[in-house]
Order: sequence, then C-alpha cells, then structure tokens
Amino acid sequence: MIRALTWRRLALASLAVFVGAMALGCLWQPYDPAAVDLPVRHAPISAAHPLGTDHLGRDLLSRLMVGGARTLMVLLAVTAIGSFGGTLIGTAAALAGSWVEIVVLRLAELPIVLPTLVVALAASAVFGLTPLTAGIALGLAGLGPYALMAHSLACGILAQPYMEAARGLGLPLPRQLLHHLLPNMLPVLLTQLGGNCGQSIVAYASLAFLGVGADTSTPDWGAMLFEYRPFIFDDPRLMLLPGLAIALPVTLISVLIDA
Amino acid sequence: MRETLTAALGTVLRAIAGLLGVSLIAFPIIRVMPADPAAVAIRAWNLPATDEVARGLRQEWGLDLPFYRQYLHWIGRFVLGDWGVSFRTGLPVLRELLHRLPLSLGIGVGALGVAVALAVPLGFLAARRPAGLVDRLSRVLAIAAKAIPSFWLGLALLWLLAVRWRVLDPLNENAGLVALAVVLVAFTSLGTLARVYRRGLIEAERQPFFRAALAKGLPPETVLWRHGHRHAACALLASLRAEAGWAIGGAATVEVLLGLPGISQFLVQSVAARDYFVLQAYVMVVAMWMIAINAAIGLSFPLLDPRLRSTGERS
Repeated sequence: MIRALTWRRLALASLAVFVGAMALGCLWQPYDPAAVDLPVRHAPISAAHPLGTDHLGRDLLSRLMVGGARTLMVLLAVTAIGSFGGTLIGTAAALAGSWVEIVVLRLAELPIVLPTLVVALAASAVFGLTPLTAGIALGLAGLGPYALMAHSLACGILAQPYMEAARGLGLPLPRQLLHHLLPNMLPVLLTQLGGNCGQSIVAYASLAFLGVGADTSTPDWGAMLFEYRPFIFDDPRLMLLPGLAIALPVTLISVLIDA
Repeated sequence: MRETLTAALGTVLRAIAGLLGVSLIAFPIIRVMPADPAAVAIRAWNLPATDEVARGLRQEWGLDLPFYRQYLHWIGRFVLGDWGVSFRTGLPVLRELLHRLPLSLGIGVGALGVAVALAVPLGFLAARRPAGLVDRLSRVLAIAAKAIPSFWLGLALLWLLAVRWRVLDPLNENAGLVALAVVLVAFTSLGTLARVYRRGLIEAERQPFFRAALAKGLPPETVLWRHGHRHAACALLASLRAEAGWAIGGAATVEVLLGLPGISQFLVQSVAARDYFVLQAYVMVVAMWMIAINAAIGLSFPLLDPRLRSTGERS
C-alpha cells in the first residue's frame, strides 16, 4: 500500500517537472531551435548540449522543448473543448431532462462512428496542421464521449439522497452544483482527462509524423521522428529521445490514473 | 426469429441514420476548404485557365447551386457510386479506394483478430492470479501499448528485422511487411483488451451463476474457464468499438511508415494535392467501417448473453 503511494508521488513529481519543462519551452530554450551549426552536428551529450545535437547541429534539447510547448498547446485546447465543454453539455443535459436530454444524447453518440484520429487527420488536411487546429479537432472529436460520460455520471449523483437533501434544503442551484455535484464527479472526470491527454499526445505525434498539412521544419516530436528516421542506424539517440518525450508523459499519466 | 429480424432491421436503420449524419459532417469539408476545387483541378490537369472551364467544372460538381442543393447533388451521386475524380491520379475516387480497401481491411480486421486472440488467454492468466506475475506483466503491456506510438515501434522493428537480421525486405510490398503492420496495429489494442478481459472475468466471479458453479464442487479455475468467458467476452466486445477506431487511425501511420498502399496512405498522399473528393470519400468509408463494426458488435451481444435475447433490444 505504502509502496504504491510512493510510486504515485514519484510519478506525480516527475510529471510536474516534465510539464514544467514543456511550459518553459514556450518562453525560453537554451539555444535557438532552428540555428544550424554544422561543425557540431551529431554532437553527443555534453555540458554545452545537454542532449546533444542533430544532423544539422541544432540543439536537441531546445527542439524537444519547443515540441513540448506545442504539445502542451494541443493539450490545453483538447482539455478546454473536450473536457470542459463535454462535461458542461453532459451535466446540463442531465439537469435539463425531457427532450433536450434525448436530443443531446443522440447528437453525442453521432461522432462515435468517426474515429478521433480520422477527424483530426481530415481537419489538418483542410486547415493545415498547427497545435491549435489539431487541438480543436481532437477536442471536438472527444466532445461526444465526454458528454455521454458526464451525463451518466451526473444522473447517478443527482439521484443520490444527499442531492435530494440539498434540493430539499433549498440551496441555490450554483451551490448545489459546485459544492455537491462537482466534487463527486471530479475523480472520474480527472481519470478520463488523464487518459484523454495521453491519447492526444500520441495522436498529435502521429499527425506530425504523417506530416499532413504541416510545415516540416517545425520541431514537433512526431515530425522530429520523421525527420531523424534515416539516422536510426548511425545515431539512435536522435530516434530515442523524441520517442521518450512522447512515451514518458503518457506512461506517467497511466501510472497515476490506473488505480 | 422475429426478434432477430427486428434487431437486424433496427441496426440497418441506425446505420443509415449514422451515415447520413456523418455525410453532413463530411460534406462541408469541400465548402470550408481554403482553395476552390475548380482552380485545383485546372492546375492539376493542365486545363486552360479560363472562366468557361472553371464554370463548367463547378457546374459538373454542382458547386454553383445553393448549399442544400449542393448537398443533395453530392449525396445523390455518392449513393450511385460517383465519388468524383482524384485530382492527383485522374482516376475515379471509388475505383482508387476499392482497389486499396482489401489491404486496409485486411490489416484492420487481422490486427483486431490477433489482438482479441491474444487478449483472451492473457486476460485469463492475469485474472487467475490477480497481482501475480502475468497480471503485472499485462499491466505493463497495457501502459506501454498506450505510451509507445506504433510508428516509433514500427521504425525500431523495421531496423531490427530489415537491417540487423535482414529477414525483411523493406522496399517492396510483401507479406512480411503486411504481417508487421498487423502486429503493430494489434499491439496498440492488445494491452487495453487484455485488461478489459481480465476485469470482465473478475466481475464474473462475483455473479450468482459463478457461485452456483463453485457450490457444485468444480475447482475455481475450471469455473473461470468454463463460465467466465461469456461474461468477459461482452466487456471485450464493448471496448472493441473504441479499439476499432484507433486501429484505423493507427493504421494510417503504419501504412505510411511501411509504404503499404492502403486507403490511409492514399489519403495522406492526396492531401498535398488538395484532393478534396478523396478526403470526403475517405471520411465516408471510415464511417462505414465503424458502423459495420458497431452493427456486428451489437448483433453479437444477444448471441453471447442469453439474457439479452428475450427483448431483442440492448439499451
């Protein structure tokens, strides 16, 4: 029991550090991520270049940090649209009841026949691949499932005796929702959010790897893997590090949410 | 018998409704795109860039009509099998996609089959001894399958098989590459499916029928093997839906990585040419595949669980 708790704390701390580095990538990198420096190409890990350089002498850590910042933007958009939007819609449907509920649920079921990644693929084909378009597409694709889940969750909680008591006491609706409904929905919602973020990281990397409608010089993790593909024999580090950048946060999230 | 027919009819009606819904999503793609399809076609086919030609093309594709008539024009031709012409190859989109569909379907169905075939024994072994070695291994597998992108694993395997051991020819389409694609797509789903199967089996242990079988004096493992499977298979089928969606999306990166000429590879190649008819058709084909899988899953629930047969309807 104690061991499991320690593991989770460790995972949480590592994830916080990792996300911190991703956020830092928005503002600052040790080197200009696009600066070509041919004399030091394929430089190994050193004090000057903490993660070495790539085939053009660009600093790998700086590029990974920019990729992290872009991935973080995707996650913010996915969370804002999919999680917040979906939760609001699902909960509102549960509260509204009657025909509104039925219409919302039918609509929410519809996108299930369109896989998330295909929606994002089509969207980036039309609008080009930027963190914003990918995030909006992935968020919209996740809206339906989220709304369905939030709806069933809210329905279950609204039927509980303590909600009835809150209503009977004449508490104002916002207080009922914020103090009694939301805290009870939160554990499940956070688990779903974690899984969704993990999927979105891999999905965005896949889109960038495919390079559909993307500017290939941008240092997205997936695009870097595509660009460094030929060096898998001579410099496996170039393949390993962006792969780790994708796999590490997803693993940490999985460890945290998988009770 | 009558119930089965009603259920089948309901499934077909739901499938048509679902497809119509998706067509309403797929259709505006051509309207919101930044470029004019007639202009793209004139450039792609080296047609004389006159207003007359552009007007003719727009008329042929119904782009000069009001919005709702455009939709009717498109969906009418779509139903009749006229899916437009690829700007890039100059061939009808329907023929291009049909030509490539067997490979993509083979990879998708094969991968789901392999994943299910491996998830069942793995889930069983994990459920037999919760927190045992197999259980912990399957948990690690589930996390790894989610965290490692299939294209990354594919690159690593390609390097091992084609360069280190020289057992695979990476340049020409061959059975080995298709098998590798199946393995890669299956790996992504295997972890989740094995965990779902394990949970289904453990839930079965709490059911009354399970205790009745134990009370008969059967050893616990025999009961789990004989009576747990049906229960867990329902859970497995339900989560297969989501996995089928990821199998298609994940297959796109694998097809591109291995150079396999499937429908997703065709889409990725078409995007650079702004081939919007291909994009519309692709979205519809994927929706049909998802609806077919949903229908197959929905119809097989009553086969697995006799309790669902009496009403013929599953909420």
